Parts: sequence; structure tokens; C-alpha cells
Amino acid sequence: MKILVHTFLLAIFPSLFFAQTNISGMVLDTKGVPIYGANVYLEGAYDGSTSDENGKFSFETSETGVQTLVVSYVSFEATKITEDIAKMHDLKIQLREDVNSLETVTISAGSFSAGDNSKISVLKPLDIVTTAGTLGDFVGALQTLPGTTTVAEDGRLFVRGGDADETQIFIDGIRVFTPYSPTTNNVPARGRYSPFLFDGITFSTGGYSAEYGQALSSVLLLNTIDEPGQEKTDIALMTVGGSLGHTEKWKKSSLSVNAAYINLAPYFVLFPDRNDWKKPFETASGEAVFRQRIGDGLLKIYGAFDTSDFELTQEDINNPEGAQFKLNNKNFYTNASYTKMLNNNWTIFGGGSYTLGNTKIGIDEAAIKDVENSAHLKLKLKKRFNNRFILNFGAEQFITDFDENYNDPDFAAMLGFYNNISAAFTEADIIFSRKLALKLGVRGEYSELFKEFTVSPRVSFAYKTGKNSQLSLAYGDFFQQPDSDVLKFTNKLEAQQTQHYIMNYQYSANNRIFRAEVYRKQYNNLVTYNDEFPNVNSNFQNNGDGYAQGLDLFWRDNKTLKNIDYWVSYSYLDTERKYKNYPVEATPSFANTHNLSVVAKYWINDWKSQIGFSYQYGSGRTYTDLNTPGFLQNKTKSYNNVSLNWAYLLSQQQILYVSVNNVFATRNVNGYQYANTADANGNFARRELLPAADQFFFVGFFWTISDDGKDNQLDNL
Amino acid sequence: MQNVITYLTIFLTALVMQAQTDSAVNTESAPTKYQQGMQKAFQLWQENKSWEAANVFERIAVAETDNWLPPYYVAQINVINSFTEKDGTKLKAQLDKAQNFINDATAISKDNPDLLVLQAQLYTAWIVYDGQQYGMTYSAKASELYSKALALAPDNPRIILAKAEWDMGGAKYFGQSLEPYCKDIQRAIDLFATFKPAGEFYPSYGEERAKQIKAKSCN
Repeated sequence: MKILVHTFLLAIFPSLFFAQTNISGMVLDTKGVPIYGANVYLEGAYDGSTSDENGKFSFETSETGVQTLVVSYVSFEATKITEDIAKMHDLKIQLREDVNSLETVTISAGSFSAGDNSKISVLKPLDIVTTAGTLGDFVGALQTLPGTTTVAEDGRLFVRGGDADETQIFIDGIRVFTPYSPTTNNVPARGRYSPFLFDGITFSTGGYSAEYGQALSSVLLLNTIDEPGQEKTDIALMTVGGSLGHTEKWKKSSLSVNAAYINLAPYFVLFPDRNDWKKPFETASGEAVFRQRIGDGLLKIYGAFDTSDFELTQEDINNPEGAQFKLNNKNFYTNASYTKMLNNNWTIFGGGSYTLGNTKIGIDEAAIKDVENSAHLKLKLKKRFNNRFILNFGAEQFITDFDENYNDPDFAAMLGFYNNISAAFTEADIIFSRKLALKLGVRGEYSELFKEFTVSPRVSFAYKTGKNSQLSLAYGDFFQQPDSDVLKFTNKLEAQQTQHYIMNYQYSANNRIFRAEVYRKQYNNLVTYNDEFPNVNSNFQNNGDGYAQGLDLFWRDNKTLKNIDYWVSYSYLDTERKYKNYPVEATPSFANTHNLSVVAKYWINDWKSQIGFSYQYGSGRTYTDLNTPGFLQNKTKSYNNVSLNWAYLLSQQQILYVSVNNVFATRNVNGYQYANTADANGNFARRELLPAADQFFFVGFFWTISDDGKDNQLDNL
Repeated sequence: MQNVITYLTIFLTALVMQAQTDSAVNTESAPTKYQQGMQKAFQLWQENKSWEAANVFERIAVAETDNWLPPYYVAQINVINSFTEKDGTKLKAQLDKAQNFINDATAISKDNPDLLVLQAQLYTAWIVYDGQQYGMTYSAKASELYSKALALAPDNPRIILAKAEWDMGGAKYFGQSLEPYCKDIQRAIDLFATFKPAGEFYPSYGEERAKQIKAKSCN
């Protein structure tokens, strides 16, 4: 009965029970512009409204007393007001823009990113592998970016006038000590690791974060996939070998394994090259990644083992019979990391890596045996105070134990060193607004070998100049110890040093990106010695110095031409240095003035094919002409290479892939080798240093087997 | 790369949302606040005021913290509207918002096939926006979600439809037979005839879509 009365009264006089209060006001952004469509409501109640074109809102509520009013709108930070609702009228609510937005400025000086995580990607994941001429070598795709120099016979990354060992490679934030497979003169090295295990790549050509050290010029950061898409098996049959991969998933964990075998013997029968192979290049490798989710944490373990073997005789002007070279390398790398979100927006990261490298080299009569044991340990903490202030700090330890056993009929030596570097870093990201961001960091390192402490400040800054454009500046000090070629003979040195100054402009809109970057890099404390090759008796000093400066341009567009995606990179480089045994300051032979890359991909829908094209141009590189006075005074002719590839989808999971490197068989001369002694006329004879082969042909068949019948390996080519 | 091929053609059309028509409320007793709110939201949606509808769903989601439906619909509206969004900044903001609400809904209702399908559709929105960038990772994830959803609800016509439609695109491109997928579509249509949503305001769309696809691609 009581209920009935209640219902009756409720129906007739609702206001008797629920006194209605009017809540009203206006929603504006920080510039005072009205926001249309904002959701304004009382938390936990149903009462609310949507702001109109003038940003105005008004609604009735039966709630009373102190309540929380929530105002939210996409791409703005939600605001809450807690107060007596009697006072909630004619409110003026200003929403701050959410800086976790694509429109927010990003610090772009010096770095290129590829992958899903970056806001503006210069390279997309597929590019790493579908760029003509690179044959799935992730390093090859990066060489089409500005800031790199074409050193075709080497294959490693040479960045902005820096030597290849000035670039360090990290997997999941952990250092890789031996990233390239071993090789010999004029046979380019390849990255050891298969690109398909990675989903994010950041390539920094300068001014990088304080988290990374022991790199004078550049860092390359590779991230393994957190969670693979699905279970599948990948089979590849190639003219040079084969590979087999499998991914298995469980509820909270997954495992990917990949094994490959490459043997160039059949290929050399069909296409002999300039080397006289006794034992053609043969390599077997295996890789595995295991991932396990533990609560909010993620554990990743990565392991790779490979063994390479070859023996050949190479032409040598001082030795009519040719120089004998043989190599056997076994390399094991493992890397484990654990990331976990803690309470209060803290994140902890811990990880470590261990490398065991075992190399046996035979050069003519000499036998060299190297054993390298290296480890890297790292602990990092991150605190996100809010979207606008993030602090990172951590500590790390690098340990290298290197032993070399040298033997030839006249001489034998045991060399080696033990190197221990401790480092700590801290860095703050401050985002003032969507327009202005600053990164401030400092890194300290202590070297046990040199008993030396170094401090490197790093600063970068970005300002949005327009809706689609921004300007970034970066400055940093970088230290790196000399490599094992020197350390095995001496420890009475200091770390080598560079300073980077970078200014970057970036425009990005509608699938088009333009970047321009000017930089100056100052080298100090470079290691010098007084012999042709460093040896036990050499006099080592930190007397060298140098500079590199230049301009890098990049343009990418996949909008203008239908089904065509292309990019163009150009680098201008001016560099000189005095180091090693240079008598004077000179431009090293791995640096040149102009580099140009054009890469295009054309998708032909009717043919189910993608045609890839790439053109690489490098102006001449320096060499020393013994017949005229001077040092590194002459330049080779320029380098040209046009490569094509064709990927044809036979079915959804079967791909046929054909590629030709250097289609026009351009004869590229990398340098010259001069005779040690002059002939009767006082003339030093010379021979051209040519690549082992001008062209390379490749045919492969790739087959993926997965439950859904969709995935394929196009992304791995 | 796979981008241009399959996804655009298939999925742009895939997400035509059919309004929730059976939102009629049991008239026996007075509607609760929840029922009134949900009805109002569906009404706004039918009037093509989808953002206002999303706002109402969001309010209900904040008030009803143990019901997965309001956050599901907030996310669904954001996902559907993303398919036609060309501005990358807005797209990211909308899909981020949708992701947050899917996360909220998933915390309330685990292993829910409708949420898995919505998550797959969210990935599809990224693929449609930029296949080169997102095709490789997200298409594999979406495939897996469809398979998982179907394993959880093998007789739910909406899930059968969603998976068949996803699989059909690639088959069409390679000129493979659509026969097996047409069978699935027919099965979905048959099941729709007797399909009863698990509860009030539960997703019930899909029948019209299945018939359209059958008319267009099968026979």
C-alpha cells in the first residue's frame, strides 16, 4: 500500500521527491574557443548533456549536495569539478589539450623511426625488407636513409663521416657486441639477425638519448615483437639456401624459432666471381625468442647462434699467387629483459646480454684465434608523473674479455684485455604543450681499464612551427673507447669523444614527409699510432681530432602517384680527421661528399605483384695515390647501382621473389691497392679493388602455413 | 603491402552498423534509469547523432561499473566513425578512446566474443587508414581474434558472419572459391532467424548485413 502511494505521488508530483537543479555553463579550450560535442555529466549519475556549437551546455538533475562534474572530449584532458551542485551554474570550463596526441611535437633531431609505435615513421616495417637490393638485410634498408655513406664493399653502417664501429646496435635496449656476420675484403657484411623478429626500429644519426653510450656517431635500436600475431610456419627455399621458422603461442607465452642455412657453392658454379673460393661461404644459424607475460610484466628471452665458414684466395698485387684467407666464426648471443608496470606510474626494466664470439682466421701463413666474451647489464626505472613530465634513470655495466692468439712461423703472441665500464644516466622528458617539448639528460661513465670518468650532457628540444611542421635542436657529448684492435695492445689511453650539434626541420602531412637536417660533429681524443698497423711496439696516443658537417635531406611520398610509394635521400658531407696513422688531417676513404638514394615500390594489382626499384649514387671516395705526393689525395670515380626486385603472390601464402642487384652491371671501383715497391721506372703499380661480383641474382620461394590461411612472408623479403 | 590488396576492398564496407532495433523495453514495469538511459542512447544513434549517443553511453558506463555493454557501445561508435575518418590525428584520438573502453569492458567481461570482434574491427580501422604501416602486424592479430571469438561462440551468427567476411576478402582477391565462406554466411542467416540476444541491449545486429553479402558475393 505504501508503495502504491509512493508511485502515485511520484507520477504526479515528481518534483516533490526530486528537486531539480539546473547545471549550466560553457566548455572552452585554453585559447577560449568553444568546444562542440564535449560530454558534461555528473559522475556516477546518468544526468548530463553534450555541449552545443557555442560550447554551451545545460541540464537538470535531481542529485543534491556535493557532486563531481566530469567534462570530457576526445583529444583533450578530461576535467573534474567537485563542488555543491547548487553552485554549478554558468560554469566556465577550460579543457587542456591532451599531449598524448599525434599533433604533439616529437623530438625528431637525429632520429628516424620505423614501426607502429612511432608517431611519424620515416620507414615502415615492410620497407626494411621490401627495398630492392637489400635482400632482407635490415642494415641495407637503413643505407637508403640520409646520413649514411655508401661503402659497398663493407656492408656496415657508416654514419656522418664516422667509421663503422662508431655505430652501436641494441636489441630491446641491450647492446649487441658483434652485430655483423664476419667477412673478408670486398665481401660486404650482413646484419646477423633476421628482420622478422623485430617490429620497431629506431635509427639515430646523432644527438641520441643519455640512455645510450659507447657510440660516437650513431645508435640503431631494434625491438623484438612483444606478442606475435598468430601461430604459423614459414618455409623459404632460395637459390642460396633455405630457412624454416615456426611460431607457437600459448595463453601467456609464445615462442618463435628460426633456422637458416646458406651455402653459396652452387651459386658460384653458375656465376663465378672474382675470388677463387676454396670453400665457398657457408653459414648455419638459429634464432629463438621466448616471451612470457607475468601479471603486468613481460619477460623476453632472445638467443641466436650462428656459424660461418669459408676459405678463398684473393688477388693481391704484392703476391702473384694471391692472398689466402680463411675464416671460421662461431657466435652466440643471448639477451633477456623484463619490463613491468608498477604502482603509481612507475615502470621497471631490467635486462642483460651475453656474447661469446669465437673466430679463427688464417691469412697466408698466419693463424689468428680470437675469443670474445662480452656482457651488458642494465636496470632502468621510469616514472610518469603525468603526460607532461616523465623521468627515466638507470645504471648499466659493460664487460668485455678479449683474448687473441697470434701465430705465424716467425712470431707468436698472446694478446688480450679485460674491459669494465660502469655507467649511470638520467633523463627527463618535459612536454610544455603540444607545441613545445624538451628532453634533458646526463650520462656518467667510469672505465676501469683507463681509470677515467666521463660526463656527457644531452639536450634536445622541439618546437611546432605549424600544423604539420616542426623544428628540433639537439646537442650532446658522446664517448667511446677504442676497439679491440687497439685495446689488445695498450690501456694507457682515454675515451674518444664527439660533440653533436643538430638542427632538424620536419614537415609531415597526407602521407608525405620532408626532413632537412644540418649538423656539425666535432671529434676529439681520437687514437693515433705510428705504424702501418697497430702492434705491440706502436706508440698509441689520443692525439687525433676531426670534424664532420653536412646536410641531410629526405622526402617520402606515397600519395601523389597511384600505387607508387617512393623516397629520395640526399646527404652532403664535409669531413676531415687525423687519427690512426694519418700523417695529416684528411678525408677518410669511407667518407664521400654526395650520396643519393631513390627507392620506389610499385604495386600492380592485376599482376598481384610488387615491383621494387632502387638507385644508389655515391660520389668518389678518397685513396692515396703513391705516384703523386700526398695522402688520401685522390678520389675514385662515383658509385652507381640500380637494383630491381619483383614479388609475385602465387596465392595468399605463397610468394615468388626475384631480385637483381646492379641491373646494368656497372663496374664500381671501391679503391686501389698499390704495390709495396716501385718498379724500375719508379712507378708503383696498382690494381682496382672491385666487388667480388658486379651483379647478384636471387630467386626465392616463400611459403607460410597458418590457421587462417592469410599471413605470408612478404614482410620478410 | 597486403594492405591495398585485401583490406580496403573488404572491410570498408564491413562495418555498416545496423541500428539496434530491438531496444523495446519490457513494458510490464516502469523502466529503470539504466533502461531509460540506454534507450535514449539508441534513439540518438538512430537519429544519426552518434556522438551524442556515445556521450550518453559514456555517462552510463561511468555509473554502471559492472556492465560491459555501455563501454562496448562507446567503443563501437568510435570504431565505426573511424572508418570514414581521414584525419590521422582525430583517428588516433578516437581509436585510443575506443581502446580504453574496450579495455574497460574486457575487465568486466572476459573472453567475450563480441568484444574480441570489436577489437579486431579496431585493428581493421588502423589497417584501412594505413595498410603499409599497420597491415603486417594488425592483420595477423585480427585473424587470431576472429578465430578465438568463433571458438568461444561457434553458433553465434554475428561471429560467424564477421569471420567469414574477413576471410572472404583475401579469397576474392586470389580468385579462390568463395564457396566455404558462402556456406558460413548461409549458416549465419539461418541462425539469425532464431537468434535471441543474451539479454536486453545485447548486440543483435548482423542479419541484414549477412543477406547483403549473400546477395552480392554468393550464388
